Amino acid sequence: MNCTRRNFLIGGSTTLFLSGYFPKISFASMQKKNLIIISLRGGMDGLTAVPVIGDKRLKKLRKKLILEDVLNLNSDFGLHPKLEIFHKLWQKNQAAFVHATNIPYTGRSHFDGQNLMETGAHIPYKEKTGWLGRGLLASNIIGKGLAISLPMPLLLRGVPQNNNFFPSPDFVETKLIDQIYNEFKGEHNELIKSTLDTIRQRPLSMQIATDSDDRKKLALEAAKQLKDQSGPRVAVFDLDGFDTHAAQGGVDGAHADELEEVNKIVTILHENLGQAFDNTLILTLTEFGRTIKQNGGYGTEHGYGSAILMAGGLLKKSQVYTDWPGLKKKELFEGRDLNSTIDSRAVYNSAMSVCFNQDPEFLRKEVFWGDELPDLSQELFKI
Amino acid sequence: MSLNFYRRVAFGLSPNEKPDKDPLNWAINQLDTIPNLLWPGTIPKEKDLRKKYGEWVYGDREVLRKKFKNDKHAYRKAKDELRIKTGERYFELNEHAIRHFQTKYSKQPVFERFWLFWGNHFAISEKDFLAEFSTGPYQREIIRPNMVKTFEEMVQSVTTSWCMIHHLDNSESFGPNSKKGMEWGETINENHARELLELHTVSPNAGYTQEDVIQLAYIMTGWAHKWDRKNLETGDIWFDQEMHQKGDKVVLGVKYKNDAKRELAKVIHDLATHPICIKFVSTKLCRHFITDEPTDEMIKPVIEAWNKSNGSLIEIHKAVITQAYKYNEITHKFHPPEIWLMQLSRMFDLNIPLSFEKMNYTFKLKPNNRQRQLSWILREIGHSPYRAKQPNGWSDLEVDWVSPELLLRRFWFASVELPMLVKSGNRSHGFILSCLKNNFEDHENMASLIDNFRFGTSDYDLGQKYGVICNLPGVLKI
Repeated sequence: MNCTRRNFLIGGSTTLFLSGYFPKISFASMQKKNLIIISLRGGMDGLTAVPVIGDKRLKKLRKKLILEDVLNLNSDFGLHPKLEIFHKLWQKNQAAFVHATNIPYTGRSHFDGQNLMETGAHIPYKEKTGWLGRGLLASNIIGKGLAISLPMPLLLRGVPQNNNFFPSPDFVETKLIDQIYNEFKGEHNELIKSTLDTIRQRPLSMQIATDSDDRKKLALEAAKQLKDQSGPRVAVFDLDGFDTHAAQGGVDGAHADELEEVNKIVTILHENLGQAFDNTLILTLTEFGRTIKQNGGYGTEHGYGSAILMAGGLLKKSQVYTDWPGLKKKELFEGRDLNSTIDSRAVYNSAMSVCFNQDPEFLRKEVFWGDELPDLSQELFKI
Repeated sequence: MSLNFYRRVAFGLSPNEKPDKDPLNWAINQLDTIPNLLWPGTIPKEKDLRKKYGEWVYGDREVLRKKFKNDKHAYRKAKDELRIKTGERYFELNEHAIRHFQTKYSKQPVFERFWLFWGNHFAISEKDFLAEFSTGPYQREIIRPNMVKTFEEMVQSVTTSWCMIHHLDNSESFGPNSKKGMEWGETINENHARELLELHTVSPNAGYTQEDVIQLAYIMTGWAHKWDRKNLETGDIWFDQEMHQKGDKVVLGVKYKNDAKRELAKVIHDLATHPICIKFVSTKLCRHFITDEPTDEMIKPVIEAWNKSNGSLIEIHKAVITQAYKYNEITHKFHPPEIWLMQLSRMFDLNIPLSFEKMNYTFKLKPNNRQRQLSWILREIGHSPYRAKQPNGWSDLEVDWVSPELLLRRFWFASVELPMLVKSGNRSHGFILSCLKNNFEDHENMASLIDNFRFGTSDYDLGQKYGVICNLPGVLKI
């Protein structure tokens, strides 16, 4: 095909890409890469999700919380039996874990911690935008964020035109929107009008009412959208209930129930993304881990270091990536919590750099104020 | 003057209200006194609800968690029973009813708008069981009585209220050189001090440093709840000298001599009368009533009234309303979902909240669906008032309220739910037309958009009509 500049303008870039006109751009880099974040609110216990094997001290301190049969990962770490999909993907180099990691926050307040896990900042409530939103904006990826929640999560704020999916309890007739659409005139109505545009352009499947308490349906729709080459590139899920101060239990306790929810979402995404799963990264996010020692109610208190659960075809290999700090009293943070030896923001920064095709140095400056965050892309992800 | 002024500063006009000859006076005359709460049902005292809070946390934490430590199913069941017994699932519903009854029927709706404003300025965000037991009574007993006093008095009351102290962890803040701080190796929790500066008074514009936050936290140490084995953290607020940091403190360049509990009132005085505080709060008031980005010109008369009256909220409110009136025709303001719902409820006399008889609760069963209806709607439209996600409260900016789903929720409410809230005597087309005429300049244009359905009175037909008229640009926004 003899392509001139004029053709380029008429045909648009898509046809040119497909015609193979730009030989330097590989097929892989043309593929849309998806980044999915699952927020685990309440403080996810990394030691329940990815328990360290054979640690006598842990066994002693957590008599009632020890898992009887963990799934095998490697000689040092096991996996909670409810996280089945991660175990399955582990065999295919499509699941990995970062352990003893957290955002640089040691205050143990959900409140401040959740704010910081979303803003990526050091001082609670200081920043009004999320690291993911800033990362998208810095990468000039606009209108490609999809939140599976009603308000736009702080995490995604900072970039305009995000979509969200959390349908109302009943169906809204499209003709209703069409009927009033033209009434929105004038500059002061532009924001609403452009949002109505986003609504009107949504695929039919997103217009259907569903039960927004049914996470399965929400995840299914998210997978469908993410699979679409012109669809969103980023999705954010929100789970809560990880604050298990009581009856945390082992294989079947309260924490296990929450892990099961994570497992469900990842399973649905994996099943329904199909080929697109190969170009996807799924990462969890939490405000802190939990204390080593069980409390009087066989639960745990707010701690510090936790783990990041990762899945997707963009992972380099199956591994538990950690600089393990140990669980002896003096190795613990303030003598009670698993320490954090990896700033989890380094993982998120690297993940964004891979999914948004950006220089991690550039993102670190644009998104995290130039904080010391090593580039982990080589170690963790396919680049 | 456009009829939209009644929605700018209040909730629109109900079917039996008529526009006033002098709207500015109508509005200003509503601000001198505190209207009574009109809700005919129970209006529990903050202290009594705090007792219930105590029963709930004690029962769960100290009894059930221990009793059922090996059985999560039995634990959940017992916990649900305790919820019913302590009203953990009920009181918030009742508070929403009290609040909406007020905005619907108050003879001083402009006052009520300011009530909502201040409750959100001094927001209690979703934490522990505050929304369930304490945020509502805090709005009634701490915010409301102070609205005819000075801003400084309001800040004093709020800062030493149980609800705010619990919300921002001041009971966990120990002076490191205090008796208890030294004994227990504890130190300050800066949370409350930071928000007192950042959100409640001077804002980051004052250029305070981390050291200022620490010093203010020192001043605030000792203001804590009393604690005992039975009531846990729900005891009254007092000043615990043994937690208080000794020595002089310096905040924003002002020295506060070691003076125990009296230090707090002094620093609050200085913060609440600081010029940057006055500008910050005046701007927020103008943002709420005039437009998202108010100009200096709009704000200036409010600052002047503030200075002239030494922070009298009555005078400040009057100045805000005067400015809102002045700029009514040339500015636009988007209303967040709850205010929109309150306006629809007042203008179309909707059947919410539920009657007080039906809201009656026996502490024996879960609240029923009817009792949960209003709170459910608020949650579904994305604006459950006592559950702000952060201590800076709900946003007052249009950009934060315009997500695709949040807009769709309004379409859903107006076209699907609202018809079921129309009173049986109000289902005629004529009723809608008269309400539109009462509240909108361009009522004829609005009427023409729903003319196709003029003969229909089924829920479906009403949904077609309300779906359109409630979501027109001039209704979502003024």
